[in-house]
Amino acid sequence: MIQVKYQRFLASAFASLASIAILAGSATAQTAITKGGTLIYLEQQPHTNLYPPAGGFYPNGGVLNQITDKLTYQNPKTLEIEPWIAESWTVNADATEYTFKIRPGVTFSDGTPLDAAAVAKNFDTYGLGNKALKQPVSEVITNYKGSEVIDPLTVKFFFTKPSVGFLQGTSVIGSGLVSLKTLALPFDALGDATKIIGSGPFVVKSEVLGRELVMEARKDYTWGPAKLAHQGRANLDGIKYVVTPEDSVRIGALLAGQANVIRQVQAYDEKQVQSKGYIIYAASTRGVNNTVVFRPDNPLVSDIRVRKALLHATNAKEIVATLFSANYPQAKSIIASTAQGYVDQSARLAYDPALAAKLLDEAGWTIGPKGLRQKDGKELVLQAYESPPQPQNKETLQLVAQQWGKVGVKLNVLAGDAGSRVADSLDPMKTPVAPAMVGRADPDVIRSQYYPTTRNALLQKGGVSNKVQSFVDEKLNTLLEEIAAATDPVKRLALVGEVQAYVIDQGYVIPIFEEPQAFAASPKVKDFTFEAVGRPSFYATWIAK
Amino acid sequence: MSAETASGTSADLRPGWVTRLKRVPVTLLLAWTIVFIVLAWAALPSLFTGYSGTEGVPGEQLRPPSAEHVLGTDGLGRDVYARIVYGARHSLSGAFVAVTVGLILGTLLGLIAGARGGWTDVVIMRVVDSMLAVPSLLLSLSIIVLLGFGTINVAIAVGAVAIARFARLARSEVMRVRRSEYVEAAFGSGGTFWAVLYRHVLPNSLTSVIALAALQFGSAILAISTLGFLGYGAPPPTPEWGLLIAEGRNYLSRAWWLTAAPGLVVVLVVLSADRISKALGRTAP
Amino acid sequence: MASYLLGRVGQALVVLALTFTAAFLLLQVLPGDAIMIKFMSPDMGLTADQIAEIRASYGADRPLWERYFTTVGNFLTGNFGISIQAGVPVSQQLATNLPPTLLLASLAFVAALILTIILATASNMVGMEWLRAGLQSLPSLFISVPVFWLGIMLIQIFSFQLGLVSVISPGPVERLVLPVLTLAIPISAPLAQILMRNIDQVLAQPFVAVARAKGASRSWVLWRHVARNAIMPTLTIAGVLFGELLAGAVVTEAVFGLSGLGGLTYQAVGNHDTAVLQAIVVISALAFVTINLIVDLLYPVLDPRLGSRSGAPA
Repeated sequence: MIQVKYQRFLASAFASLASIAILAGSATAQTAITKGGTLIYLEQQPHTNLYPPAGGFYPNGGVLNQITDKLTYQNPKTLEIEPWIAESWTVNADATEYTFKIRPGVTFSDGTPLDAAAVAKNFDTYGLGNKALKQPVSEVITNYKGSEVIDPLTVKFFFTKPSVGFLQGTSVIGSGLVSLKTLALPFDALGDATKIIGSGPFVVKSEVLGRELVMEARKDYTWGPAKLAHQGRANLDGIKYVVTPEDSVRIGALLAGQANVIRQVQAYDEKQVQSKGYIIYAASTRGVNNTVVFRPDNPLVSDIRVRKALLHATNAKEIVATLFSANYPQAKSIIASTAQGYVDQSARLAYDPALAAKLLDEAGWTIGPKGLRQKDGKELVLQAYESPPQPQNKETLQLVAQQWGKVGVKLNVLAGDAGSRVADSLDPMKTPVAPAMVGRADPDVIRSQYYPTTRNALLQKGGVSNKVQSFVDEKLNTLLEEIAAATDPVKRLALVGEVQAYVIDQGYVIPIFEEPQAFAASPKVKDFTFEAVGRPSFYATWIAK
Repeated sequence: MSAETASGTSADLRPGWVTRLKRVPVTLLLAWTIVFIVLAWAALPSLFTGYSGTEGVPGEQLRPPSAEHVLGTDGLGRDVYARIVYGARHSLSGAFVAVTVGLILGTLLGLIAGARGGWTDVVIMRVVDSMLAVPSLLLSLSIIVLLGFGTINVAIAVGAVAIARFARLARSEVMRVRRSEYVEAAFGSGGTFWAVLYRHVLPNSLTSVIALAALQFGSAILAISTLGFLGYGAPPPTPEWGLLIAEGRNYLSRAWWLTAAPGLVVVLVVLSADRISKALGRTAP
Repeated sequence: MASYLLGRVGQALVVLALTFTAAFLLLQVLPGDAIMIKFMSPDMGLTADQIAEIRASYGADRPLWERYFTTVGNFLTGNFGISIQAGVPVSQQLATNLPPTLLLASLAFVAALILTIILATASNMVGMEWLRAGLQSLPSLFISVPVFWLGIMLIQIFSFQLGLVSVISPGPVERLVLPVLTLAIPISAPLAQILMRNIDQVLAQPFVAVARAKGASRSWVLWRHVARNAIMPTLTIAGVLFGELLAGAVVTEAVFGLSGLGGLTYQAVGNHDTAVLQAIVVISALAFVTINLIVDLLYPVLDPRLGSRSGAPA
C-alpha cells in the first residue's frame, strides 16, 4: 500500500522521471510483482528439432529461449551486445580471435558446470558440425577454426578469416549453450525437448510430443543477463506450452480465459482482441523483410527488365492496407527498418504499372489475345508456393497475383504438401518466384539469406540444389563475402547498404512488409518481453492477480 | 386425399400434414430445386452475380453482409456470394469426377466379379478388400501427393476411395440378378457372357448403383472439403466450396459468415443428394 | 467348417500381402523423398556429398526389389524401420501414438452406437409426428456437415461460449468429451439410417401385429425383435468403420490438437515418411481383415439361416 502511494506521488510529481524509472525496472516496480503461477502459452505449430542452431524456426525459438542461456545478450532496444554467461570478452584487431571470460558458478540443469570447456565444446559443434552425430553447422558462425580452453573460466576461439558477426552470433538463440550430455546425442534424438539440457531460467519437465510441453522454473537460477532489471529466478513457477493449430481455437481460448498468451495472431483478429482489453505484442524480427524473390535461373525471369517490371507492378502499400495492420509496416528495403545497416530504398520501389508495362514491352513480352503477355509463343506464367509459416502468405500471394494480372502476367499460387514444397522450391523451373523472409538482428543476415551455400533464396548455382543450371551473380557473392569478412563496423554497414541497393536494382527481390511476430496476451500478463528478433522471453514475466 | 396437390400451401397446415407431405414428396421437390439452382450457378455463374469469383477489391475486405454484398466479403475483398456461385462449377465438377471414377471403375469390377464368379471373383474381390483395408484418407492424400494439387486431381483421389464401395454393391446386385430365372434362361438359350451382362444383368442392377452414386455425390463434396481443411485442396484462388469453408474458419471470431455461408450451401446440397438418393433407392425393384 | 475357416484365413492373408505390396509401390513413386525433405532444407546447411552419405546410411540408394524384400523381412520380424523425419524407430512412434487414438476411436464407436440406438428408438417411440420426422432426418443432417467444421463449432459453443469444458487444460475425461462427440456424430449417421430402416421393416411384419394383439407393448416388441436384427448390419459396417475412424481421427486430432495416429499419418504424408506410412497401412489392414474375419465367423452363429452357407461372402 505504501509502495502504491509512493508510486502515485512519484507519478504526479515527477511524471517523466517515474516513467523512466519504471522502464528501467526500478525497485519500486518490482515489489508489486506477483510471483508464482503457471502461464499457459498456445503455440501454433509443434517444435521440430531443438538442436540450438535449428532455433530459427519460431516454435523452436519459443522453447529454446526459455531453457538455454547464451554467452552474450543482445539488448533488444539498443541492439548492443551485453554480458550474460560471458562476463567480458576481447577481440583481436582483425576479428580472427575472440576471448571470453565465463561467469563463475553457472550450472546446467543436470548439475554439470557451464565452464570454459563446455562453452568450447558447444561452439566447436556449432562451428564445425559433428558428422558422426549428423549435427549440422550453425548458419550464424562463419570461418570457424577451433577453440582453446585457457583456464576453467576462459575460452578462446580462432577463425580462418575475419568473422565480425561472431560476437552477435553468440547472442542468438542458435548459439544457446547446452550440456555436454545433450551434445553427445545424435541429431535425431534432439527432437525431444526433455533431452535439451540448458542452463536457462526454465527446465523442461515433461513433454507430450507434438501436443504439450511443461516447463518449471529453476529455483537456483541467478545468472540472467547482467544489465537486465529482473535478476534471480524467474517470477513464474512454470509455463505450459499447448500446441493449438486452429486460429479460431487459440483466439477463443485466450478470450475465454483458458490461456494467457497465444502466438500468431492474424492482423484481422487484432481489433477483436484489443476491443476486449487484451494486448497485442508485435515484436519486430529485425531481419530480412517479408519479400518475394525471383529465381533468375528460370529463363522467364532471367531478364532484368521482366523482374523490374514485376517489382514496379507490385503495390506493397495496397497489400499492407488490405491484409495487415499498423504492426506490419510497408517495407522500404529488403531488410527491416529496425535492422542494422538499413538504408531506405523507397525511391527504387515505387508502384508504377505504366513503367512496368513499358519494361515488359521492351523485353519483348507483348499482350496476347487472352490478355496475357507472350513472347515467341510462350506465355508469361509464373508459379510460387505459399509459405504457411508466414502471416497470411496465401492471401499476400493472391493479391500479388491480382496486381501482376493487371500488367498481363499470371502468377499461379501453388498449394502443396510439405514434401513437394521443399522439393520444388529447390528447382527454379518449378518455382521462378518464391516468398522469403528470415529474422536475425545482425547485418550478416543478408549474407545468409542470399549466399549460395546458405539459404540461397535466389537459387544460385553452387548450393545444395542440383536443379540449378547456370545462374550465379559473382558481384553479389563478392559483396556478401565482404560483409562476412569486414572488420570495420562502418565499412560493414556500408556494404550492407550497397547490397540492399544492388539486390533491388537487379530486381531480384520485391520487399512487401516488415514481418513481426504477433502475440496476444491477457492484460494480466506483465513484463512479457522479447529478445532481439522477436522470440518470447518469460524470464521476467508475471501474472497479476 | 385431395391434399396431394395442395400440400405446399400454408392453408394446409393442419395436424397430420407431415404424413401427407411424405406422400407428396415436397422435400424431394425441394431437393431437386436446390440441385437445379446449383447446376445453373455452375453453368452460367455470370447470370447470378456481377462480382468476380476470384478478383477482390482491395479496401472492401471483410465487409459484413449488406445489400451490396449479400453474404459479405472475404479478406481480399471478394464477394462471398460470388465466390459460392462461381465455386459451384468447381465443387460440382469435382464431385462429379469423383463419383464417375468410382462408379465406372467400381461397377465394372463388381460386374465382372459377380458375373464371372469363380477365380475371377475371388481375385477381384480380394483386390477390392485391400483397397478398403487402406484408410481412405491416407489413400486420398497419397494420390494427391502423387498427382499434384488441383481440382481434378483431388476429385480423382476422392473417387478412387469409392471404387471399392461401388464394386461391392455392384457385385452383390449382380449376384442377386444372376440367380433370377430370366438370366439363367438367357444363358441357357446360348447368350454370350458379355451380351447377357449388357442386356440383362447391367440394367437390372443399375438402380441401386445409381442411388449409391447420388449418395456418394454428397460425400464427395464433403471429402473434398476435408482435404481442403488439411491443406490438400485446389490451389488458390479457386473458389471451391470446401476450400471456402476451410479457409473461412480462420476468420471465425471476426467474420463468421465466411465459413457459415458456404457451409450452409454444402449442407443443403448434400442433404438434397441424400434425399434424391433415397428416392432413387425406393424405386429400386 | 474347418476348411471354410482355413479358406477365410487364407483370403485374409492374401489381402494383407496385397495391401502391403500395393502400399509399398505407391509410396515409392511419391515425388521427393523424406531424406531430401529433411536434409536438403536450407535450414540444415548440408552439402550435396553429406546428403548422399546420409542417403546411403538409410539404405535408400539400394535397388527397389532389394528394399522391398528387406522391408518384408523387417516387418515379419516386427521391425517397422526408422522414421526419417523424427529420427526414431517407427515402433516407438506407434507405441506413443496408437493408444490415444485407439481409446478415442473405440469411445467414439461406442458413443456412436449409443447415439444410434437413442435416435432410432426415440424416432419410433415419440408420438408427435413432426418430432419423429425431425429425428428421422437427423442422420442425413449428420452426414452433411464436414467433420472439421463440426469440431470447431462444438469447441466454440461448449467450451468458449458455455464454458462447459476446457480444451486447453482439460482433465483426462474432459479432454475426450468433445473429440469423441465430433468423431461419433458422423459415424452414427449411417448406422442410424440402417437401424431405422430395419425397425420399419420389422414393425411391418405380421408377427408384430400378432404380438401386439397378444398384449405386448410396442417397446417390448421393438427390443425383442429389433435388437437382434440390428446387430447384423452393424457388424457388417464395423469392418469398414475402422478406416473411417482413422480418417476422422486425422481431422479430429488436428482440430483439437491431440496427438495420435491421425496426426502421425498426416505428418508422415506431408514429409513422405514412407516407413511410418507403411506401418500405418499394415496396422489398419490387419485391423480390417481381423474385424472382417470375426464378422464372417459370427454370421453363422448369429443367423442360423446362414449356417449351412459356405460360399464367399463379399
